[in-house]
Amino acid sequence: MADLALPKTLLVPAGLAEGLSEPGVTIGDVVQGALNSPAHRERWKYTKADGFLTQLVAPAEAPQINGEQQSGVRWWRETISKSMPGLDLQQGPEAFARLCFAGEAMRLDITGSVTDPVTLIHRANTLPVIVNLSANASLTLIEMIEGDEGQQTVWIDIGPNAEVKHSRNALNAASSSWQYSSVRLQSSARYHLNNHVLGCGVRRQDLHIIMDGQGAEAKLVSAGVVDNKAALDQQITLEHRQPKGRSEQTIHNIVANGGKCTFNGRIHIHDGASGTDAQLSNKNLGMGDNATINTKPELEIYTDDVSCSHGATVGTLSQEALFYLTSRGIDKAAAEALLSQGFLRQCIDGPLAETALNTMIGARELGASL
Amino acid sequence: MNLLDVSNLHASVETDDGPQPILKGLNLTVKAGEVHAIMGPNGSGKSTLANVLSGRPGYAVDGGEAMLGGKNLLDLEPFERAQIGMFLAFQYPVEIPGVSNMEFLKASIDSLARARGEEQPNTASFMRTVRELAGSLDLDPAFLKRGVNEGFSGGEKKRNEIMQLLLLNPKLALLDETDSGLDIDALKVVADGVNRYRSESNGVVLITHYQRLLDYIVPDYVHVLSNGQIIESGDKSLALELEAKGYAWLT
Repeated sequence: MADLALPKTLLVPAGLAEGLSEPGVTIGDVVQGALNSPAHRERWKYTKADGFLTQLVAPAEAPQINGEQQSGVRWWRETISKSMPGLDLQQGPEAFARLCFAGEAMRLDITGSVTDPVTLIHRANTLPVIVNLSANASLTLIEMIEGDEGQQTVWIDIGPNAEVKHSRNALNAASSSWQYSSVRLQSSARYHLNNHVLGCGVRRQDLHIIMDGQGAEAKLVSAGVVDNKAALDQQITLEHRQPKGRSEQTIHNIVANGGKCTFNGRIHIHDGASGTDAQLSNKNLGMGDNATINTKPELEIYTDDVSCSHGATVGTLSQEALFYLTSRGIDKAAAEALLSQGFLRQCIDGPLAETALNTMIGARELGASL
Repeated sequence: MNLLDVSNLHASVETDDGPQPILKGLNLTVKAGEVHAIMGPNGSGKSTLANVLSGRPGYAVDGGEAMLGGKNLLDLEPFERAQIGMFLAFQYPVEIPGVSNMEFLKASIDSLARARGEEQPNTASFMRTVRELAGSLDLDPAFLKRGVNEGFSGGEKKRNEIMQLLLLNPKLALLDETDSGLDIDALKVVADGVNRYRSESNGVVLITHYQRLLDYIVPDYVHVLSNGQIIESGDKSLALELEAKGYAWLT
């Protein structure tokens, strides 16, 4: 990280520097220091950080929001303060920097069962969004990532027995696009993410899920296509800090024709998180020429009495399945298209499924050019 | 004209130790309207015959001919073989999550129609036909929305093969141990499906280990395959004799 290009002149906002370093310390210094830890070096091993870090200082606008005019929803703009959940330097130093540079954040509070979805449309760099659900509240949150380049940071705190159904389409042809999301679940809270993503110039998706209450449940389902020299880097950390949590992650990516895809899925089960059930499956389908796939599922377990499985596969289309389809008269290109679509479709669901299917399968004639 | 003409067929399977010859000069002729049963001990080449005729990757033809309706099968890709009327009912039907049965069947019937210059069926009437067929084979029509063979029991997979046979109505049906793993009720449903398919214009080649299936699908001919060749042919009484005596007296 020696070539980190964060401006050194901008000071850490008053009140935040305390405990981080001496007075007068710059954001650049603080973030650069944090990024040099082994864990964060690993997070940026396969994608160059510089471009994303430089962009952190770019001006940010509020995302467009729909559905905020319902009872139980409050949406406002607020100057950053130390009590904001995103200001945890160690968890995501770049996201911390984003908050510091932006100077303010958008707040979304949910108190109750919100019937209509709340939709955020990001067309550029957007102000950090901080979502809070009080106990027993529920929300369908939709995010659409659009525009040529942009960075989005979202913190979601889900109160006891509250629920978020989160759908995100990141299907824009951007030169550079970064989605950082952090989700904290309190006891018996539930979080379900359907993520659909296309590779672009450089696409980065960070997700940090913290199971911070007993009996929390998280489910992540993601489908991606990385074609024509595009890039996608997905970094997921899921921490089980409390007992009896359940998490399930299924990530399918097709990488074709010079595309480069990196997946790093870390599950950390803390001491005392007994009765945890954590599953992770990352499957990658390589097609065409020169696809690059890096995948690394990681498990760190510091307690007994847990049920965990994690697996990663990198492969090509099943020859058995291809033969089965072609033996029924379907030509090879059409059979390949059916199979690759089927591979994606297993991970496409939720309110954005139709758009995702059309865009992801229509964006390239899967199979036809292979 | 013969429907299927296999003459002096030599074929090998690719293994880690190089190609292993399996079929060693096999001859078989099937005329329209006929049902032929092929029996034989393990390793005699029964499944290899089905695989070579349908074009499964991993096999090499070392000599001989196989003609379907006067066309050389061995020159064709698997999808082209299906388009001229070949159908293999798989011994182990493949599970394909994410591709629904209905979508798969529509893709198949559309491909066959296109290849034959016929009109593709409209979706509504096609779906009705498929649902009726499924019902007639004791398959819950709800399965049509699920992935191809996904989560099916062994019996359901075999009935799905028979449903495809009835839907696609090929010239020649090759059934590769379709009876294996079936209980008696499922066996009757499968046999009933094959009997519904039988007509004066098509042919059936049944590959089986057991005489039991032949109680329900009565063959015109029974052949014994051993060491890559047909060593004995007869009528259905040969199957009973095999059941009683085993294969040792022939080989």
